[in-house]
Amino acid sequence: MKRAHLLHWTRGWVGIAAIVAIGLALSLVITERYHHRILTLVFLWAAMGLAWNIISGYAGQISFGHQAFFGIGAYVTVLLAAKAGVTPWLGMLAGALVAVLAALLIGTPTFRLAGIYFGLATLAYPLIFRIVMDYLGYQEVAIPMVRDRPALFMQFTEPRSFDLLALALLAATLVLSRLIEGSRLGYSLRAIKENEQAALAMGVDAFRCKMAAYALSAAPAALAGAIYSHAILFVVTPEAVFGVLVIVQTLVVCLVGGVGTLWGPVIGAAIMIPVSEILDSTVGDRLPGIQGVVYGAALMGIMMFAPEGLFWRLGRGRAAAAAAPAPAATTAAAVEPDGATTRAAVPATSSAVVLDVRSVSKAFLGLQALTEVTFDVRDREILGIIGPNGAGKTTLFNVLNGFLLPEHGEIRWQGEPITGLSPHLVCRRGIGRTFQVVRFFPRLTVLENVMVGAFAHGGTPAAATARAREALARVGLAGRAAVTPSGLTTLELRLMELARCLATAPRLVLLDEPLAGLAADGVEILSAMIRRVRRAGVTVVIIEHTIQALVKIADRLVVLDQGRRLAEGLPGDVTRNPAVIEAYLGQRWLARHASTHAADLRP
Amino acid sequence: MLRISGLSVAYAGLHALEDVSLEVNEGEFVTIVGPNGAGKTTLLKAISGSVRAAAGRLDFRARDMTTLPAHERAALGIAHVPEGRRVFPSLTVLENLELGSYRRAARSRRAEGLAAVLALFPALAVRRRQLAGSLSGGEQQMLALGRGLMAAPDLLLLDEPSQGLAPRIVEQIFETIDRIRRERRLTVLLVEQRVVEALELCDRGYVLETGRVVLAGAHDALLSDPRVQRAYLGV
Repeated sequence: MKRAHLLHWTRGWVGIAAIVAIGLALSLVITERYHHRILTLVFLWAAMGLAWNIISGYAGQISFGHQAFFGIGAYVTVLLAAKAGVTPWLGMLAGALVAVLAALLIGTPTFRLAGIYFGLATLAYPLIFRIVMDYLGYQEVAIPMVRDRPALFMQFTEPRSFDLLALALLAATLVLSRLIEGSRLGYSLRAIKENEQAALAMGVDAFRCKMAAYALSAAPAALAGAIYSHAILFVVTPEAVFGVLVIVQTLVVCLVGGVGTLWGPVIGAAIMIPVSEILDSTVGDRLPGIQGVVYGAALMGIMMFAPEGLFWRLGRGRAAAAAAPAPAATTAAAVEPDGATTRAAVPATSSAVVLDVRSVSKAFLGLQALTEVTFDVRDREILGIIGPNGAGKTTLFNVLNGFLLPEHGEIRWQGEPITGLSPHLVCRRGIGRTFQVVRFFPRLTVLENVMVGAFAHGGTPAAATARAREALARVGLAGRAAVTPSGLTTLELRLMELARCLATAPRLVLLDEPLAGLAADGVEILSAMIRRVRRAGVTVVIIEHTIQALVKIADRLVVLDQGRRLAEGLPGDVTRNPAVIEAYLGQRWLARHASTHAADLRP
Repeated sequence: MLRISGLSVAYAGLHALEDVSLEVNEGEFVTIVGPNGAGKTTLLKAISGSVRAAAGRLDFRARDMTTLPAHERAALGIAHVPEGRRVFPSLTVLENLELGSYRRAARSRRAEGLAAVLALFPALAVRRRQLAGSLSGGEQQMLALGRGLMAAPDLLLLDEPSQGLAPRIVEQIFETIDRIRRERRLTVLLVEQRVVEALELCDRGYVLETGRVVLAGAHDALLSDPRVQRAYLGV
């Protein structure tokens, strides 16, 4: 396993070294000035694509306004040189700094929007910058010629210099991306992209992670803008650096090559930039406009035959081979004989209260989902929460783990109020949860899924890997660590989600219908696992609507009906409680069978 | 009329129905009860064709329809009134009803069908120009029922018509169902959580528990069988 990890680790760096070596070699071999220009553009757009890829590829927050940072880099650098005589070497660093600050300012309000609304909002920022530049009178800013110290002012006559400069930026952006990929931030971003709710529940501070990614992606974009101005433009205009063509070129490079990977934007730039330039110079002058048509056709071809991008398209065969079914029935090994004796071993009634829920109410658009719900959870017990459809069970969990804010009531965890705390903080305090429909991160391996949970309390990727492996071993899924979740059975998915939850080192776990839809043997395996979790010192709260399985593992039951607590007590008493029978079977059933219940209740 | 043998349905590896066999005779009223998550809705969806059978066979009037798509099953005369009513909220009551008569056999007699449905539900006749979204829950359920009847079906599948309705309204709905099926000699397959109300109306019933049929029998036998409660509560 160590070796495989090392191999994976080195593969990224070897790839980066190879790209730099190829870039250098091309730069040395090429002699014609025009070809150097193409090479510079390939490097620049690959770097710009990689910058966009940090926020939109890894974190999945599609930014349609990334040219805002490209333009800031260009304008800050050129204006500093023109107005204050500052060398662009310093100027572009200042530009990157301003871009990072702009990203933080833009991100603060804009990340309150989710999904496509974030993307639409980002469209506005470059438009605003264009208007501001026009207003300030910077419609055209020429780079001042400094003939005596050309190198100091980035005015090379040797075209190779710009290749190398752009290649250096590409290499730096590749290294930055590679570092993010392997870091806690990288795992968190991918988790946010795949399923933000699940990421929050695993302790990921989604807002801060997105802000960090946005800021990190702004800097290389600004540097690309600064170099582009000096290598290509010479005269900076709002249209050229804030214009829509900048983002179109960026998107083309990323979509063609593949999103969410180091190599995609490089592949995309290496193909599309030369194609567009060559079309321009060969057929463009004879049939004006034809280059756009051919370019568009190539783009459509990619969208039709490799919509996920060339990298993923070509890499998929290999990934499928890696995900070949591992020996199944790994889970069976984890199950040990587990009798009802364990329940007696933990006298539920004497334990201290760890979670105290006091008159919690929650309404949605006038529908009262929870009304004055009060109950407590005792240390190391298995508490079952049951109730018919629409009783408010999942709403209750969503209130407990911070997804929803109750209108009324208080929740105390180990004596401290946690009402209204955000989900990632609730998780970090030691309350883990699973979901009714397993919310996994589909493009992450089973191990990486669990690692997201393991990062809840910080630490290095190596430490998180170790904790994740341990959690997988606990649920008997160690043999499935390298596959993606799509290859798992329902039972294995539930076990993986449980492992991910356990990897956050919880003191209390909230399990939302863990047994639903499992076959009888699956129910056995998972029930045994839940008892083991409790024996390891973790308190368990389970929601189920099928009572049968729950009666066997729960110490106590709380019954909800139409948002109210209907009953609470030992399983045997609760299922004989007339109010519970009425909730499940109706008043008239109770009336018909009243005599038999009376007999049941007698000793 | 309808014969289901060994039907299994799975959603992404999740077993919703396992080896379910049942039959409904011409003109019969059959009820399926069982707790939430037992697979009742899935069973109706498998009959109307909106979910695929993983195994087993469905015959309608001695014709194998296991692989028929949903719209062809509707053309055979099977109407499905789904759970949660699913009326088109931004269309009027009349428009909703007219959409129900899409089936060819029903299209030619749309006017008659409409008159009959409006006679059956006077409350809908009063509100015929109102948007369906502005109706009360009970009225929406009547509209969903009426829309199902507009298809002039031979077999009516009803999925929890009582859901989310006040007891008095539920009583009305069940009375209407009983009347419709006597007047129209319809075959009805009803899925319900409300055990007594549903079993009292029907001829025969099945009890579904975690995807399997655990009990079957005449309505009065099931009504007095304590094992029904076990399916719900485990004891």
